[in-house]
Amino acid sequence: MTETNPLVLIIDDEEAMRDSCSQILLKDHYAVETAKDGATGIQLIRALHPALVIVDLKMPGMSGFEVLENLPGLDPHIVAVVITGYATVDSAVEAMKRGAHDFLPKPFTPEALRIIIARGLERRRLILEAEALRKEKQLLEENFITMVSHQLRSPLVAIQQYFEVMLAGLEGATDDRMKEMIRKANERLDSLLRLINEWLDLARIGQGRFVGTFQLLDVRKILNRLVEFLTPSARENNISLEWAGSSGPAVELMGDEQGLEQVFSNLINNALRYNKPRGSVRINLREEANFAVVEVQDTGIGIAPEHLPLIFEQFFRVGRPGDKAPKGSGLGLSIAKKLVEAHHGRIEVRSELGVGTSFIVRLPKAASGGTPA
Amino acid sequence: MTTNRAKILVVDDDPDFREAMKAILTAASYGVVTASNVAEGTQAILGERPDLILLDIMMDSLFDGYSLCHAIRTSKEFEGVRHTPVIFVSAVRQIAGSRFGFKGEDQGLTGPEDYIDKPVKPADLLARIERYLKK
Repeated sequence: MTETNPLVLIIDDEEAMRDSCSQILLKDHYAVETAKDGATGIQLIRALHPALVIVDLKMPGMSGFEVLENLPGLDPHIVAVVITGYATVDSAVEAMKRGAHDFLPKPFTPEALRIIIARGLERRRLILEAEALRKEKQLLEENFITMVSHQLRSPLVAIQQYFEVMLAGLEGATDDRMKEMIRKANERLDSLLRLINEWLDLARIGQGRFVGTFQLLDVRKILNRLVEFLTPSARENNISLEWAGSSGPAVELMGDEQGLEQVFSNLINNALRYNKPRGSVRINLREEANFAVVEVQDTGIGIAPEHLPLIFEQFFRVGRPGDKAPKGSGLGLSIAKKLVEAHHGRIEVRSELGVGTSFIVRLPKAASGGTPA
Repeated sequence: MTTNRAKILVVDDDPDFREAMKAILTAASYGVVTASNVAEGTQAILGERPDLILLDIMMDSLFDGYSLCHAIRTSKEFEGVRHTPVIFVSAVRQIAGSRFGFKGEDQGLTGPEDYIDKPVKPADLLARIERYLKK
């Protein structure tokens, strides 16, 4: 953070003063620039960004006080030292009030100048250091969840990678019984990874401030990508995934891409999971007035009427018939609801036991450019 | 172990992950070089001239992989190896549930040839490596 050969700018109308200060400072290996009046000084500050500026208070035209007042707008980290010809305490105090770091009464010795400049630059170093720390802290805060997530995931992923090596028999033969155990261990790790993600998502959305990046998005595109991504797993489970809206005009809204992907992937995954063998999941996108409406409909087991009011609650889980215990964290739908609400939308559910369930998400569209609001 | 085939560089900050990747690649008789951060990666790319690079995204800082990939494609330092295929190997895009497609292009960064999720399936990895080595 220490600047090598920091630049010092001297603003003084007296040529003799500019020259003598320059000589002293150049000998101490500072870089030096000079200005003969306030206006020139400000131009040089703007162009050269000096670390420190020495300003004479009493100059014709723009006074030293006026230069001081301009400094925060030019460079918030610049350090100013004033020179006062009339060594009154009053003008020095006034200068400090207007942001000067220190003052030097005329006449002064080279030693006094050196000490004051060194002190001023030390202050500048501290200011810059504090600024860098503040920026780093801000970056950490903004990306805290991403980093926590990364650190929790890394060891689990490394374990899974070793498992992949063993399953592929790359370090000697692995018999079927061992492979089966490795697969089970892998499944547990997968669900732990999912749980970590869901907890962190909830932390991210739950603090009342959703830190998403809102931008203009096409819902159709998001659904296209999701369907492509989820089709293999639907096929594996013998469920037909039907999406009739793959081509068509863009349905645009302001949203957080990752957040919306998560909402729809959660709904579609649930629909695939809580379905009947050879069942189907139908996805539909339509526009109603100022809303984009996405419906995810399954031919699954349905939700009992007494459970319906509870499904968006945290940790509420319904087991599938045949499961020994309910799987999942019970956080998925609660996260989806919070995300939809962060987009000023609504999520609804309709269900009939044994027939199927449909989730309807309504999101306000972006105001169209063509029609006046 | 013969290493008559191509040389692959693995850049990843996790030593265990590197070891597992090395096991997969050596079993397929590739030559393997590893690096644990951007500085080591840079050195290995220039010194070892790998035929393909497997690159983690989040190492010492959030987007190390992106910046290294971008540097390979654009900076003068990497002029002679600019066209080495790069595959991102990362769990980053799953961080908040489902995340597809890398967004480096959106930030004006030059993207990699491909992207593989961790944990990596050996057969999938080897198939993709073959594909990019043929080109």
